[in-house]
Amino acid sequence: MSNARRRSLKLSTLALSTMLLFSPLSANAALTIYNGQHKTATLALIDAFTEHTHIKVETRQGSSNELAHQIVEEGKRSPADIIYTEESTPLIMLANQGLLATLDDQALNNIPAEYRDQKGQWVGLLARSRVIAYNKDRTATDKLPTSVYDLTDAKWKDQFAFVKTSGAFQKQLSAMIKLDGREQAKAWLEGLQKNGKEYRNNKAALDAVERGDIPFALINNYYWDSMAREQGADKLKSGLYFMGTHDLGDLITVSGAAILKSSNNLDEAQQFMAFATSEAGQQILTDKSAQYPLNSKVDTHGLKPFSELTPPNDTLDLGEYSDGKAAIELLQEVGLL
Amino acid sequence: MCSQVTYKNRTRPIPLGLMVPVILLVLLTSLPLLYIIIRAQEAGWSHAMSLIFRARVYQLLLNTLQLLAVVTVLSTLIGVTTAWLLERTDVPKRKLWNALVTLPFAVPAFISSYSWISLLPQLEGFGGAVLVLTLCNYPLVHLPVAAALRGMDPALEETSRSLGFNRSQTFFKVILPQLRPALYGGAILIALHMLAEFGALAFLNYETFTTAIFDQYYVAFDGASAAMLTLVLLLLCLMVIGLELLLRGKANYAIERKGSPGMQQLIKLGWVKPLAVFALLALVTLAAGVPLGIIGFWLLNGTSSVFHGQEVWSALITTLSFGFGGALLAIVFALPLVFLAVRYQGRLSIMAERLPYFIHSLPGLVIGLTLVFFAIRYAFPFYQTSPLLLIGYAMLYLPLAQSSIRAALIQVSTQLEEMARSLGKNAFSVFMRITLPLIAPGVGAGLALVFLQIMKELTATLLLRPTGVDTLATKVWEHTANAEYGASAPYAALLILVSGLPVYLLTMRSFTRNTAHA
Repeated sequence: MSNARRRSLKLSTLALSTMLLFSPLSANAALTIYNGQHKTATLALIDAFTEHTHIKVETRQGSSNELAHQIVEEGKRSPADIIYTEESTPLIMLANQGLLATLDDQALNNIPAEYRDQKGQWVGLLARSRVIAYNKDRTATDKLPTSVYDLTDAKWKDQFAFVKTSGAFQKQLSAMIKLDGREQAKAWLEGLQKNGKEYRNNKAALDAVERGDIPFALINNYYWDSMAREQGADKLKSGLYFMGTHDLGDLITVSGAAILKSSNNLDEAQQFMAFATSEAGQQILTDKSAQYPLNSKVDTHGLKPFSELTPPNDTLDLGEYSDGKAAIELLQEVGLL
Repeated sequence: MCSQVTYKNRTRPIPLGLMVPVILLVLLTSLPLLYIIIRAQEAGWSHAMSLIFRARVYQLLLNTLQLLAVVTVLSTLIGVTTAWLLERTDVPKRKLWNALVTLPFAVPAFISSYSWISLLPQLEGFGGAVLVLTLCNYPLVHLPVAAALRGMDPALEETSRSLGFNRSQTFFKVILPQLRPALYGGAILIALHMLAEFGALAFLNYETFTTAIFDQYYVAFDGASAAMLTLVLLLLCLMVIGLELLLRGKANYAIERKGSPGMQQLIKLGWVKPLAVFALLALVTLAAGVPLGIIGFWLLNGTSSVFHGQEVWSALITTLSFGFGGALLAIVFALPLVFLAVRYQGRLSIMAERLPYFIHSLPGLVIGLTLVFFAIRYAFPFYQTSPLLLIGYAMLYLPLAQSSIRAALIQVSTQLEEMARSLGKNAFSVFMRITLPLIAPGVGAGLALVFLQIMKELTATLLLRPTGVDTLATKVWEHTANAEYGASAPYAALLILVSGLPVYLLTMRSFTRNTAHA
């Protein structure tokens, strides 16, 4: 009842109403990127872009699938100008829904035809290989499987880790459905479920291998490669193993980006895409993330040469399985999701 | 004395000024339920049923219930033991221990779990989840039980002793029954936390309904499937809340008497004393020492800790303004609900007051999904703005504000209000000038509690925050998910520091007041 109390009450009310009205936190930048790729590399790219063009960029970080579907829900009013995803899968889904704009030739011409959309609605930015990371103390390369299909054998029980939530894992599954049919893919998943250990993300799985908690893990090359760059490959207890047999275990997957048709900043967005595919932009991405640049002029600093990789044939275009839907359904069906 | 409200008046009509905000709040808090129903409808009921009745759901049910049961029981045992040791025995330095024992309350569970995981990666799975979550949650039992012990009438125990009962008989027959309301209250909170916990379990690699709902959303973006898992989760919440009502009903014979707390005779521990001190030391080391020590270590030695002063600062400011804004909004929402429930008891008031408790047991992710869904369709200008996030926070933590305010309001006599009204003041100005100042301590406690929860909130924040905005919690999450422990350390340390303040205020308050409503 005292005056002081009443005053503090008025102050609080005032503070609340200001809080509600005042949302400077959502201030508009010129470009909004929904980013499903690793943040450090993307931010380095954005910083360089802003330095060159003085165009300010805001990012919204999330998982690629989440962000892509969020754009579907947002529809024409989506605040996003560009979406950058781990895999091409979400981009293909958005293209199928008619939500993507056509890219300028400048961006498209920077990237070889097989790694971009035929209609020019998205481009690949980086590629990487599915690999096996193994602990040298716990196993040797000649004891590792020569096909991912081997892993359904009971002799691999508790010997390996996999990451069911990873986009590249789902891509592997999509490719399997296309190449060998749904039944075989299902049997493979059930085998993994029985024999393998699940981890929530690739970094955690690799760390477990490095520590020796588990002999090997199905991951992407760049998790190991960037660790090797930081700490020196000779200091690591783990190594990379490529099956080298055109097996699905060596599948190449592509991350990519696209411009939303609904963007109000099409010009700036096109500039960004041109920069991201340019030699300068690709070099930044490669340096920061140890993935393969799709612009072939860029230095990869000692990664296993891209030309020496042996991905399975006919997996660049997965046709009707490109949108990843069948893989997700299968994961749900066997009870992994 | 405070067991029954004697002045309820059923015939008095509810004023419109109270009715309108309450109905709006009922609508707002029913949105998550509406969202689940809409999603199920979209999927088609037969598909929905097939999503519910599958092996995966059974496995999640088993995982969730196991965790819930074991953590709740262990936390309760620890909480009751520490409360009894510090309130009733001659353990040395009781005040200091009391502060130390409640310290883990200021360490968010997901930070505690990542520090444990970075120390002992083998802790993954059920065992690790039980260890870390028990250590994080026992203060929820310790605090109310300690307060109840402090407020208990010593005469009862003296009588029991004079009737020839020994110490342990007295504890089980006289003390424990009186502790039940406090104990059940704490245990139920822990059980509900186990249903909604996400961050800690993600690090500990243990799957429950909440982590599975997260996967459905982030991996599959399958709204229908996520909604169906939520539906099962809701049924679990209902069971927990139902269990509480059942237990509370049974416990009614032990009326909590707010006797003169007087001087309690402390039990001499004798040769057990060193053992008790050792146990307390071990508990505090595990629960607070390990997380704080590890974060300190990473702060000093982290390889990835490039200190971005500007980023840390802006995350801190964002977190504080979200916390304060959300807490104030929760208070504003809670006031009409509590006022209606206490002053105008009836069906509407019971429903209006209970609904937020139901929503509170849902994971933040579901509230986030709900608000994204409705904002995109019907309130687009609000989409990805801070006001929407604050509304989300207020919805999530409304019950914390409600219970604090309620405890204060039932002690305010209606006579003052009636008198003011007879002097010609209208209901609103009577409330603002008479009632509100009288319940200020309860409002303050509610504010501190909600603020504390918002500091730690992760999943709703990830979904609803404006683009480009980070809180301390999302920063910690982002860095630790990539195992960048060094980089996350400054954010984690600041988060613990700012959470520590409300915890300190709340525990100090329970020191100075003798009620069991802490």
